[in-house]
Amino acid sequence: MKIEKEPISGQYGKFKIDGIDYRIYWEEAGQGIPLVCLHTAGSDGRQYRALLNDKKILEKFRVIVFDMPWHGKSSPPENAKVGNYKLSTDFYISQIMSFINGLELVKPVVMGCSIGGRIILHLAINFPDKFRALIGLQSAGHLDPYYDISWLHRQDVHGGEVCGGIAYGLMAPTSPESDKFETMWHYMQGGPGIFKGDLFFYKFDGNIGNEIKKIDNSKCPIYLLTGEYDYSATPEETKALADTIGIEMIKMKNVGHFPMSENPKEFLKYLHPVLNKIS
Amino acid sequence: MFKSLIDNNEKRSQLSIMAQYLNTSFMISTIENEYLVNIEKGVVKNVEEGPFVMPSYVFKLTAPKNEWIKFLQHIPEPGSHDIIAMLRRKVLKFEGDLHPLMSHLLYFKLLLASLRPAESKNEN
Repeated sequence: MKIEKEPISGQYGKFKIDGIDYRIYWEEAGQGIPLVCLHTAGSDGRQYRALLNDKKILEKFRVIVFDMPWHGKSSPPENAKVGNYKLSTDFYISQIMSFINGLELVKPVVMGCSIGGRIILHLAINFPDKFRALIGLQSAGHLDPYYDISWLHRQDVHGGEVCGGIAYGLMAPTSPESDKFETMWHYMQGGPGIFKGDLFFYKFDGNIGNEIKKIDNSKCPIYLLTGEYDYSATPEETKALADTIGIEMIKMKNVGHFPMSENPKEFLKYLHPVLNKIS
Repeated sequence: MFKSLIDNNEKRSQLSIMAQYLNTSFMISTIENEYLVNIEKGVVKNVEEGPFVMPSYVFKLTAPKNEWIKFLQHIPEPGSHDIIAMLRRKVLKFEGDLHPLMSHLLYFKLLLASLRPAESKNEN
């Protein structure tokens, strides 16, 4: 039987992040400009499978996706304990820079979604010279809590069920059910407390106030794309962010919080022109 | 508005599997009306329409009727497509013991969404 092979290859490597060793898993495909993709809170790099399989993108870009520590196939650190994971802004920046330096990537493009869409703003503030461009999917400068996130990690509630239930609603009703299911499935497979731990960054530690004004788009071009069905980072919030930076945002029809995995076909219509500009 | 939750249990057999250990009663309020829904082993066993004098339930979902109408469209608009989206807009309130709801969140989302018409039509 002939199988349909994908062009993706996966690898493990040991990276020192803030002085501690982490076993990180990443996947990549294509060649050319490095495009590092950051997954959402509580999920993993599988969200970017469509990009890793998109022939048009792979002609010009080396698409690289790593699973954050504690996520997907990446390990927790030595002596880790369940319940003590909490993503801080500093640790998030450190892991991204360690990964980029470890792979010796020169001026990569970094694209992140949700928490990834927030951290690219911190990267733009702190290291504008290090990147060719930054792409924020579902970016907002801050997010006030709108539901009690303690439900995401309780021993009397199945974490996979509740995290999946939360993720499902963030997607557009128009996105294909099979893609929505897989996006939800990634959430259902997360470790206990990991989604909640990531949200510490998203809803508290990573909130940006006036610092947004420090972003200089002339030093590093920034592109912001947000799905219309996202109620976590709404198009209105991305628009406010874009106005402060002085750039246009792109509102994507018929997608929600996970454009790259809930409806890749629709998402790529918006992403291709952005990547053409960057290349 | 929610009386028809009693219908189509057979079509929702897959959904019931997701809540096979769930036995609860919850109230849906449209401000004007109230609907007391009883669930046994993930199956809707009874839906009673108010007014009530002494209703007994575990948790309650309250939103104005016009917001529930928007939620129940074939393809709802952004912000009306999900109960947590409505919570974010502060048009829906969760009250009571939320454990049955949060431990079966997807089940309840899909149960309520099962009332959406299969095809678009103006429900006003």
